[in-house]
Amino acid sequence: MIVKLSFFLSLLALAGAASAQAACPVKVGGILPLTGSMAPITKKIAQSAELAFEHINAGGGVKGCPVQFILRDDQGQPTVGVDAAKYLVEVEKVPAFTGTISSGVTGPIISAVTAPSKVVQVSCCSTASPFTADGRSGGYFFRTIPTSKTQAFATASETARRGFKKTAVIYVNTDFGKDMLTFYRQAAGKLGGDIVVEVPYNDNQTSYRAEVTRALAAKPESLLLIGFPKDAVTIVREWLSLGGSKRVALNNSMRTMDFVNGVGAQHVEDFFGMDNAQVAGANVDAFNQAFEDKYKTDSKGPGVHTQYDAVMVLGLAMNIAKDLSGPAIKDAMRQVQAANGTPVGTGPAEYKKALELIKAGRPIKYNGATGPIEFDVNGDVTGPALVWKISGGKIETDRVISIEEMQALFKRVE
Amino acid sequence: MSGMLSYLVFFASVVLILGIVVLGLNLQWGFTGLFNAGVVGFYAIGGYTFAILTAAPLSGHMGNFGLHWSLGLLAAMFVTALAAWAIGALTIRLRGDYLAITSFGIAVTIQLVTLNWGALTGGPNGLTRLGRPLAGWFDTPAAFNAAYLVMLAAIVALVYWGLERMLRSPWGRVLRAIREDELAAVALGKNARRFRLEAFVIGSALMGLAGALYVGYIGFVSPFDFLPILTFQAWAMLIVGGSGNNRGALLGALVVWGIWTVSGIAVTKLLPPSLAAQGAAVQVILIGAALVAMLLWRPRGIIGEEAVVSRHTTD
Repeated sequence: MIVKLSFFLSLLALAGAASAQAACPVKVGGILPLTGSMAPITKKIAQSAELAFEHINAGGGVKGCPVQFILRDDQGQPTVGVDAAKYLVEVEKVPAFTGTISSGVTGPIISAVTAPSKVVQVSCCSTASPFTADGRSGGYFFRTIPTSKTQAFATASETARRGFKKTAVIYVNTDFGKDMLTFYRQAAGKLGGDIVVEVPYNDNQTSYRAEVTRALAAKPESLLLIGFPKDAVTIVREWLSLGGSKRVALNNSMRTMDFVNGVGAQHVEDFFGMDNAQVAGANVDAFNQAFEDKYKTDSKGPGVHTQYDAVMVLGLAMNIAKDLSGPAIKDAMRQVQAANGTPVGTGPAEYKKALELIKAGRPIKYNGATGPIEFDVNGDVTGPALVWKISGGKIETDRVISIEEMQALFKRVE
Repeated sequence: MSGMLSYLVFFASVVLILGIVVLGLNLQWGFTGLFNAGVVGFYAIGGYTFAILTAAPLSGHMGNFGLHWSLGLLAAMFVTALAAWAIGALTIRLRGDYLAITSFGIAVTIQLVTLNWGALTGGPNGLTRLGRPLAGWFDTPAAFNAAYLVMLAAIVALVYWGLERMLRSPWGRVLRAIREDELAAVALGKNARRFRLEAFVIGSALMGLAGALYVGYIGFVSPFDFLPILTFQAWAMLIVGGSGNNRGALLGALVVWGIWTVSGIAVTKLLPPSLAAQGAAVQVILIGAALVAMLLWRPRGIIGEEAVVSRHTTD
């Protein structure tokens, strides 16, 4: 009888353990434009997210559970993106997700899913300034990419340093392009340099001869091109064939070999651009090495480092949060960068170290693949920038503008 | 399970909104033979009219009137009808592919206006804090979504009923006569141009209503909501469901949007995340293959057109 009873009890215990296990794995969502016009740059970003989840799982997961990453494609279409977010939040019950790239897709997701359902959204790449500024997200939207302001100010300081005069600006007519132009204009006015003409373009056209001709009519001596690689290839080809200057500045999206090879390496020699800095250091090297080992390709490209940090910060915050609800995770997001915290870096071993510190109730300070991540009141990060240039058909880092320099720059301009 | 239910509520809402668009297109193409390739343009006019009228006031915007949502919905239909009338008055004489090219161009123009007239439309940043229908009456998202679905179902039922009445009336039979042989209809003394214009305006007003309902549901509008792919989707829905049949139009919206989302879910469920990027490409292929298969299986759509529509004749 007693044997039977104890057998029964152990069965119960097993069942209990099984139901406690039922909360495992912890699900985290992802939404990225895996197909459509953004697909060329999204591939590495998706790989980076996947690598981060691998590191999280190797380092101990979330609250003792392995993490399951559920990635959906938004096709660059708002309706598809909102549907994917709704599916992740309602059916898969994710308390947090990472995504997406196009601001035109991120906007409706924030408004229709993130804010009303109170789930945490961390984007690697959407830079439109209003998302965090006007309270529409209820504080549930974060991004690990500095907004367009950082990049635009850095671009203005670099074009001023290189003595750009009479600059034509051709920009993609999106929130990103407009923000970049507005902030660049503001900074160029203070730092030196003048804009002779501002020409918006609409993406996915087969020819940009009209836009380029309009820009050239103002007799510019240099060009700032803000846009995306596929269109930029067409624009730069037409710009050069119509006799445009070879003094050309670009934005972060063009930091891809697709752009260099698309135009032809010999034509884009000495073109330069901005990106968010991959601050040098052990944490960055560790990430780069891990990425190269796994995918047999370098980790250069827009969004690759910020996506890794987006996921890692989420993983850490979910461990710090008192439970795995959206509001609890939201409140924990700023605790990954405690002022007096023990520094932790990238990779599974560092993640494991962070979990031990969290378990011991000690504060941590995450230094990621893009340097220290510190969310301001709006959920934005500021960060260092880097200048890259095309040299001998390769993309090289020219110099880094540190956080301190960036802060000084902000003071000068604002 | 409740999660699945609330996703299905959302899914059904999107289907109903798209269903209204397809009903409008069915009136134009299915019954009258008007090749409107600018569906998304009228959808955008409705969406933006609603957004501009109901958005909370914001400095630097000439719109953002903060009006009540019911007014927004009515105005969206009215303004879209007005725009369709103006466009139709100029272009409705064009036949077949000529009208298609013109209307496509007009839709692209409308999208570019929303992108560039920043003071009115918010430009690429779009408009937010819209007067969402029913939002004030329900405090949880689930209740809001359920109520919205009920409202949409009621609107679709009303639109369906109205269209059926109209199309089974003499007016509807004239539309078909024009579609089949315009010259014969004119010979019988029918003013073909007037009938074509009426069908064009009513169909477009429905698209505008759908745009307003979509924007009100999401609570945010930007020019990226109105890319030409939506026109393509509406056409695929109508042709798959059955052109010339209102039930077919609604069924087409359900089937095509179902293929779109279920293929996405299937890819996530069946493939590990490491293959998600390739899976997404497979999804696009699946959507195309499913559409082709449907058309091979039922060339006239799942529910084709009824041969007899008058209640006075029995076949």
